[in-house]
Amino acid sequence: MKHLRLGAVAAVALALLAACGGGEPYVPGTGSPNGAPTTKGNFTSLVSFGDSLSDAGSYAPATSLTGNGAAPYFGGKFTTNSATGTVWVENLAKTLGLTITPAEVGFAGSSAKCPAAANPALANTCTAYGQGGSRVTDPNGIGKSGGALTVPMSTQIANHLARFGSFKATDLVVVFGGNNDVFVQSSVLSAKATQIQTDAAAGKITADQASALLLDAQTAAQAELKTAATALAGYVRDQIVAKGAKYVMVWNLPDSSLTPFGGTLSASGRATLTGLVDIFNLWLREGLKDQPVQLVDANAIFRDVYTNPSKYGFVNNTVPACDATKIAAITGGAVTDGSSLFCNSTAGAPYNGIRTGADVNTWQFADGVHPTTGGHKALSDIAAKLLQSYGWF
Amino acid sequence: MKLRLTILAAGAVAVMTTGSAFAEGLTFKTGAIRYNTHSKTNGISGIGIPAGADAQVGDASTVVFTIERALTPNVGVELVLGIPPTVKSRATGSVAFLGDNVLSAKNLAPTVFVNYHFGAPGDALRPYVGLGLNYTKFVSIQSKLAPSVQMSESMGMAWVGGVDYAINRQWGLYASASSLDVRSNVVGVASTVLTTSIDFRPVVYSVGASYKF
Repeated sequence: MKHLRLGAVAAVALALLAACGGGEPYVPGTGSPNGAPTTKGNFTSLVSFGDSLSDAGSYAPATSLTGNGAAPYFGGKFTTNSATGTVWVENLAKTLGLTITPAEVGFAGSSAKCPAAANPALANTCTAYGQGGSRVTDPNGIGKSGGALTVPMSTQIANHLARFGSFKATDLVVVFGGNNDVFVQSSVLSAKATQIQTDAAAGKITADQASALLLDAQTAAQAELKTAATALAGYVRDQIVAKGAKYVMVWNLPDSSLTPFGGTLSASGRATLTGLVDIFNLWLREGLKDQPVQLVDANAIFRDVYTNPSKYGFVNNTVPACDATKIAAITGGAVTDGSSLFCNSTAGAPYNGIRTGADVNTWQFADGVHPTTGGHKALSDIAAKLLQSYGWF
Repeated sequence: MKLRLTILAAGAVAVMTTGSAFAEGLTFKTGAIRYNTHSKTNGISGIGIPAGADAQVGDASTVVFTIERALTPNVGVELVLGIPPTVKSRATGSVAFLGDNVLSAKNLAPTVFVNYHFGAPGDALRPYVGLGLNYTKFVSIQSKLAPSVQMSESMGMAWVGGVDYAINRQWGLYASASSLDVRSNVVGVASTVLTTSIDFRPVVYSVGASYKF
């Protein structure tokens, strides 16, 4: 009987021990980066990885006025191009007393790395790696088939390491990409959704089957973006921070549904886009948990700009400042989507593609998604303020 | 949580060790139980999850074992252990198309009651009521919506009412109904993150046999 009693007590003790296993389950995406420096950076270089938002002119040869890829160029940046039509990383470099030039320039099969090095004084300035269409890991970015380089961020970082060996403690590294992964997955998902809805309307599948297929399609898109965001966080951790970078600023993604492009979508299309951006941001944040970087909530910042445009000096944030019809005429019908890559704002120039009545400083968007000169200035002003708030500048 | 666990542990140990002679005043019971949930959730949330997504927890049956030590002729401390039943949930609301068994888990749910038995020892029929603590841990959690699902443990009050029928000095029959306060926060991790809080609100019916030393 003694044995039985001991056995029973042991069984209860065991059950209670099992009870001490854990408390609340962990919710991914609720952590934060941790341990970024708080001291001044004394920066010697701005190193930028990303996509069209940070493209300092990679595709200028596509906008050759002579049509043969040679200068002068009438476009080349995804903004309202002009002598003063710079993008945010150029503006930020200037604020820091630095210069930044494209890491690679070219189009349609021919390109040159660090063309600025023709002037030896600028040899180390070719650290603007962002290119229009670039994705996080996939080399097949948006516009690749049309001749764009779309070097993915993984390769952008590898190229920097190949050229410089490592990052310097005086580099300011900005990482801002993933939008094109969202756009690719969003259009894949939209195409699937259209097919599913067509099949449902034709009676080929039931409403419940359609719902299940739609959820599957959404899950597939989410999974791709989880992969991309997790990969980007991994590059930051293993290829940037672990390779000597001390001052690293990672931007999450703004909600592209709050753009003129987003305004052309259906309500469900906008919601889908918002959801995919949110998925990317969730896993980016999760991947950067406890990393010594600053994670910029660009999503919240752009939402504030969208909601309160006047606070940032904008009177119009819904209509592109570039005129698709003018750009089509200027490019001989080659560019019909109004891409700001081909949009010049020089007053009186025959290749001026600005919409009549538009203002490149007080209208926020140049095309469906890219900022005007004023839009880029707002972005670089925000970035400079953030650097000050971190104590880095 | 720690404090309540300690109380539960103390109660359990008290059942086993009170009194001088081991078997004296001990009653063992075993029986079948029906676990009827009346679950409520705060909805299933997650990026991309349609508004109005919800789930309903199903019922389950299992076998229960209890051991009760009489502290006085009318008061006893009872430990209730069961073979953990698998409780399945089905999707409802805007995600009803997902069907049955979107979440399943085994409930490991020891409960300690302090019971008051009406009448006197030797009476053939003795109704009783009790108040106690239930601890529930969810194990073997599976969901077709997420490869990884975690559920928080639950600690809550428990109430019981029942009747014992003595066939002879040792053997008897019993029937009881109890109500438990069981809540759990659920986090499912897939390409998105699903969260919900479930208030199970179970009513547990049990019938079986008892043996008294």
